[in-house]
Amino acid sequence: MSAEKDKKYLRMTLNERVQHFLLLTSFITLVMTGFALKYPEAVWVSWVRSLFGDFAFEIRGTVHRVAAVVMILDSFYHLIYITFTKRGRKLIIDLWFTKKDLTDVIGTIKYYFNRTNVKPKYGRFCYIEKSEYWALVWGNVVMGVTGVILWFENTFLPVVSNIGMDIATAIHFYEAILASLAIVIWHFYFVIYNPDVYPINKAFITGYLTREEMEHEHPLELEAIEQEQQNTNDIKDKIDL
Amino acid sequence: MSRRLLKNRRLFYVILSLALLTGFIIILINSPIIRAKGSDDCLTCHDDKDLTMEKNGKKISIYVSSADFKHSVHKVIECIDCHINYNADNLPHNPKKSDVDCKSCHDNIKASSDNVHNNVKCSQCHTKHNILPAREYGKDQTSNCLACHNNKNVQAFMSSTHYKKNVKCDDCHQGGHMTKKLIKSESLTICGKCHTTNQMLGNNGVHQVALKSGNKNAPTCVDCHGSHQILPSKMSIESQSCLKCHLDEKLFPGDTKGSAKFVSQYKTSIHSSIQKDGKPAAGCTDCHGNHMIENPKNPESSTSKARSLETCGKCHTDIVAKFKNSKHGQELLKKNPKAPSCTDCHGEHSIQSTLKSDEFSKLNQVELCLRCHQEQKLPHKNYKGEEVLISNYKDSYHYKALKEGKNAATCADCHGSHEMNKADDPNSRIYRKNIPKTCGQSNCHVKELNEYTGSIHEVSLTQKNSPDAPNCNTCHGNHQIAKNNDVQNRISNSKGLVQLCSDCHNSVELTKKYNIPTGRTESYMNSFHGLAIRGGSKVAANCESCHSHHNIRPSSDSLSTISKKNLPQTCGKCHPGANQTLFNTPIHITASLNESPLLFWLSRFYIILIIVTIGGMALHNLFDLLKKMKNKNNKNDSENEEKEKDVSGKG
Repeated sequence: MSAEKDKKYLRMTLNERVQHFLLLTSFITLVMTGFALKYPEAVWVSWVRSLFGDFAFEIRGTVHRVAAVVMILDSFYHLIYITFTKRGRKLIIDLWFTKKDLTDVIGTIKYYFNRTNVKPKYGRFCYIEKSEYWALVWGNVVMGVTGVILWFENTFLPVVSNIGMDIATAIHFYEAILASLAIVIWHFYFVIYNPDVYPINKAFITGYLTREEMEHEHPLELEAIEQEQQNTNDIKDKIDL
Repeated sequence: MSRRLLKNRRLFYVILSLALLTGFIIILINSPIIRAKGSDDCLTCHDDKDLTMEKNGKKISIYVSSADFKHSVHKVIECIDCHINYNADNLPHNPKKSDVDCKSCHDNIKASSDNVHNNVKCSQCHTKHNILPAREYGKDQTSNCLACHNNKNVQAFMSSTHYKKNVKCDDCHQGGHMTKKLIKSESLTICGKCHTTNQMLGNNGVHQVALKSGNKNAPTCVDCHGSHQILPSKMSIESQSCLKCHLDEKLFPGDTKGSAKFVSQYKTSIHSSIQKDGKPAAGCTDCHGNHMIENPKNPESSTSKARSLETCGKCHTDIVAKFKNSKHGQELLKKNPKAPSCTDCHGEHSIQSTLKSDEFSKLNQVELCLRCHQEQKLPHKNYKGEEVLISNYKDSYHYKALKEGKNAATCADCHGSHEMNKADDPNSRIYRKNIPKTCGQSNCHVKELNEYTGSIHEVSLTQKNSPDAPNCNTCHGNHQIAKNNDVQNRISNSKGLVQLCSDCHNSVELTKKYNIPTGRTESYMNSFHGLAIRGGSKVAANCESCHSHHNIRPSSDSLSTISKKNLPQTCGKCHPGANQTLFNTPIHITASLNESPLLFWLSRFYIILIIVTIGGMALHNLFDLLKKMKNKNNKNDSENEEKEKDVSGKG
């Protein structure tokens, strides 16, 4: 039994963890440097600016662009990953919305409001994670496109005219607010504040989940894994026999 | 009949003989031949020009012109009446050689005891034989006097005004037989016989007061005008007359006002060195007056502070007229003791041309003005009554440039010198509307004035007469004006510049008053340009980058840098891509419904999206958290119950 308990379940491969790491560092950098542009009088912004001296503004801009490039490259790599690797393709299949997600949402809400005592059982990715992922995809596209327009203003000014630049600026700003808040409220809740994983879900570092975590968050996947193992064992047994 | 005839013939002879006798007597009396019995006898010999005799070893002429003698008053007397003891038969006629004694006849001549001519022989003036009647003698008296008095000074009388105006020696020297040597102290009385007005004028002058108090050095008429060579006033009273005494350090020691040293500064002054009609431009008397010279401390004096405008204005008419209208002049006329007069700035004897004067060199002029206009001495208030720091001019670029030897504006260049006036005077060079002209005067900021002229700011300043329209000072400051790239200058950095423009363009009061579009500052501040400036960028566009600085015009003006036609070029300075852009929408837009519906609805959409999405997420997670905490409590309770059961079961 104890062996069962200590058993670890692979959540993120090293490849995926590196992708996640690049995403999280570039995202935080973008948020901070973007915030510094929009709210230059914020206390921490002026403090940081004072550390960088005369060219603080230019350094901020450069850092923002470097992070953007990192994030875009990371996204492209991810595109390659989900296209050309088996695990990548499986990832997208698992992340695709199904009918079950709708019933899960309803069931979960019922459960929260004590209409039922049974919490819906989630698979490898629940609706929370799926929406998170697709929101990220959407955000990446929007921020990437508007960001590039703003970056290469000389190229795009004749194309989109000055009102286009104004729109791109507005979208880039509001989308950034939306994304930042989504990360803080949605993502951080499930991987940090959530009492089941508090202080932090270590899977993004270790790559593995514990059995307890699997039971809480991904019972269906656990069942599937155990079922598969059972099958494997049966086959083994058969072979042995 | 014969008896009667005879008797008649006798009577005829008597009358005839009587008539003949009378005629003869008349002829006898009047005939020169008959008179020659005395003088004629003498003249037969002495009317010879070559007649000489030897006297004391010298050959002397003893010629007597009979014509002259017969014309003289002495023609009625005989030679021997004067030349007594002369015997025509002897040669020489009078061996005793006794002199002619005029007093033997002229014993009633009124001669004063101090007559300088007491020891002069009568003949030296009246001549010996050609003695004329007083009436005729007087006609040519001056040349008679000058015949003996041949020293230069007296001879110069011939060229004097007195000679030309027929004043004769005896008019001053009494003349006749009362001629006396004149002494200095008498000259006032003597000259005053004719020069009554001038003498009266001089009555209380310093010179007369000194003279009356017994000062031997005090000058009288002749000390200045000379004695014999008296010339028309200006010529005779050249400053040399005054300087003769006033440069003498023994008479005027020390180096205070009034000393010889003080006066000697005049010699190098412009008044002395510049010539006008061959004479110094201004001599002592031109300022100090002539007879009525008074102490400058006396308010009545021509050199007193109160009267200096009048005195200097005799020549410098235009300048004094300007000065009288200036604030300095007005205060001076109000008798404000702090107000400056001509001499307070220009000096007194040392006065120099402002161009050459070291005191008026641009750099020193500052010191000159600051001598009074310093905070401690005369707190300077501008026309609004606000106290203004003037000495910070020394921090200005104008002063810095001067110190580097360049030509730059100093006090008078902006305020004017004599016409200096306060900024609220419409004629003042620093009046709101005149400032652009003052700054743009030739040799100064001509180019900038040209740019400014026609700008919206200039039009509202000069044509629409708006009291709030900015002139040069509004943006550049005044005394402490700095160069554009000087960190001291608020327009040297974008933040300062934006703030400067916002002072008016973000003012609720002013935007309402002049119907200026609002929200310009806000829209700029939130634009990338504004954010960059706020974030410390030094290259991002500020107001000036697009609107230009002096030549700011509304976008409807085709000359404006932000007119639709010029906008691609203006933006293209930084963004080459803008050259092909059509600017169809305004630049300064806020996301308000009327300015940009598109942006307005876009932002509304996002705000609603954010509220719904993030709100939903937050609620979802809140319920999740509450549920999990409830579950944990239930679990703990059931575990505890189980434990208690175990314990009681064992017990």
